[in-house]
Amino acid sequence: MRRQDWAAISAGCSVTLSSERSVLPPGTVVSGKWNGKTYKLQRLLGTGSNGQVYLASCGRSVCAIKFGSEAAELQGEANVLASLDRARKGRGKAPFLLDVDDCAMDGRHVPFYVMRYVPGTPLKDYLRRQGHERIGIIGCRLLEQLAELHEAGWVFADLKSDNILVSRFGRVELVDYGGVTAIGRSVRQFTEIYDRGYWSAGPRTADPAYDWFAFGILWLHALDGNRLLYLAQTRLPQVRSVEDLLKLVRTHARLRPLEPWMEKAFRGAFRDTRDALYQWKLAHWKARRAGGADISRWVAGMLALSAAAGLSWLAIRILS
Amino acid sequence: MNQILLITDGCSNVGESPVTAASRAWSEGICVNVIGIVDEGVIGERGALEIEEIARAGGGVSRIVEPRQLSETVRMMTHQTAAVSIRQAAYRELRQLFGVASVAELPPERRAEAVERIRELEETAALRVALLIDASASMKPKLRAVEEAIRDLALSLEARSGQSLVAVFHFPGESADAPCALDCGWTQDAAALAHLFSRIRMKGTTPTGPALLQVVDYFRETCGKISREEENAPPRLGGDIGGMLSDIVV
Repeated sequence: MRRQDWAAISAGCSVTLSSERSVLPPGTVVSGKWNGKTYKLQRLLGTGSNGQVYLASCGRSVCAIKFGSEAAELQGEANVLASLDRARKGRGKAPFLLDVDDCAMDGRHVPFYVMRYVPGTPLKDYLRRQGHERIGIIGCRLLEQLAELHEAGWVFADLKSDNILVSRFGRVELVDYGGVTAIGRSVRQFTEIYDRGYWSAGPRTADPAYDWFAFGILWLHALDGNRLLYLAQTRLPQVRSVEDLLKLVRTHARLRPLEPWMEKAFRGAFRDTRDALYQWKLAHWKARRAGGADISRWVAGMLALSAAAGLSWLAIRILS
Repeated sequence: MNQILLITDGCSNVGESPVTAASRAWSEGICVNVIGIVDEGVIGERGALEIEEIARAGGGVSRIVEPRQLSETVRMMTHQTAAVSIRQAAYRELRQLFGVASVAELPPERRAEAVERIRELEETAALRVALLIDASASMKPKLRAVEEAIRDLALSLEARSGQSLVAVFHFPGESADAPCALDCGWTQDAAALAHLFSRIRMKGTTPTGPALLQVVDYFRETCGKISREEENAPPRLGGDIGGMLSDIVV
């Protein structure tokens, strides 16, 4: 049930469903009413939780533009990205949010925001094509992004394969910030099997542990999706539990070595997300030591990543 | 914010028109949403039309879904209706303060803050949802999905910061005088709402109209009369906007 559908049938709100709105042709020029920047649309990238996203060029660079059906909703998302940018500013990282404005289209004002363009394949498809060797590195990069988000006071909340894009070089990006919730508030946009409330593992209130739980489900869904869905369909709501999930983990060859980490993720037992990240790396290193040459490649990659991260941290400390 | 969520699989067949009852509820500040639930069957044109008309008269929304979509539909309807009423109230305030009809007409700097306040209100405003469940014989195979949807709604409401309460009724009631029966009074506890329907007797008639009126009475008795005029007093956006103190009245 898409949020656009609800917006359309709400009494008193005259709204064009973004899905009903026809796809804008390539070459369409969009100019912002308040900030005056112009963009040239190239193609539709996808339809997100409350709007359409296009690839566009701005001057010589490319970016992604999201058009929304509702100004308030779109602004809410832009607020989150802006807040993330503020938190990351000191670390010399490129901003997510490039522009927020309105444009004139078909005689109406349509709100939009512009963000950096992220190419990539949804996680599940990526793993299906490339195999499972990179789970460790992808997990690391994802946890890093989540750690940043949590430290800025937000929880991603709608973590799932479709919202994680992996690019050819193993670069991982979270997309569609429509479900991001401030820590302490209730989570309203989620997918049931990823929701810890569904599994009676905790409240539906946003906190980092909510994301850790969904992160654990991510791998279960990607590697053992059929059994997970079967479990969800057959267990009665009152008896669904973390133990059911751990049984799946225990009986899956690839996931079994990660059982202690997964248990902590499902029970929210890390100190914070950086701790979860550290333990994730440790768990994979231990798994490698226990045997399994097929995972050695990404372990090596992770060690290299850690070294690089350590060096750049050192460089920043020296230079600042 | 007060809501009645009616879940039914057919037409009303006895008593006052549910459409009239729904408009009575709306005039007392209670929004009526309706979910028609079908399972390998059809709800019938008359039933579908009635469902739509009840929601329209009740200021709410309607949807016809299968049992497996019920939890998500209940959750989304409740949330969306609440969000719409908050937004409408907030926009009235915007009009008074800035002469603009919506967030979209504010300049970007002001907009970010206005939206933040709206989100805060969505989270903190008091919300009361009374579920009114059709317990006619044909609903029997769908009850499991209904119980799960109730549990799920309670989970979502529990997580809110603002006061969030659920009450559950089923209709028809036990006797001719009681068109519906109260299974669980206002509660915030998901556990209290488990196994509500294990022992009810599923009967034939569907007195939707009288049942709706009885639920409206329940609201009046437990929450006091809230006329639409009073409910229209907008929540203050507060903070720097207009320099007014934050004062939530919805």
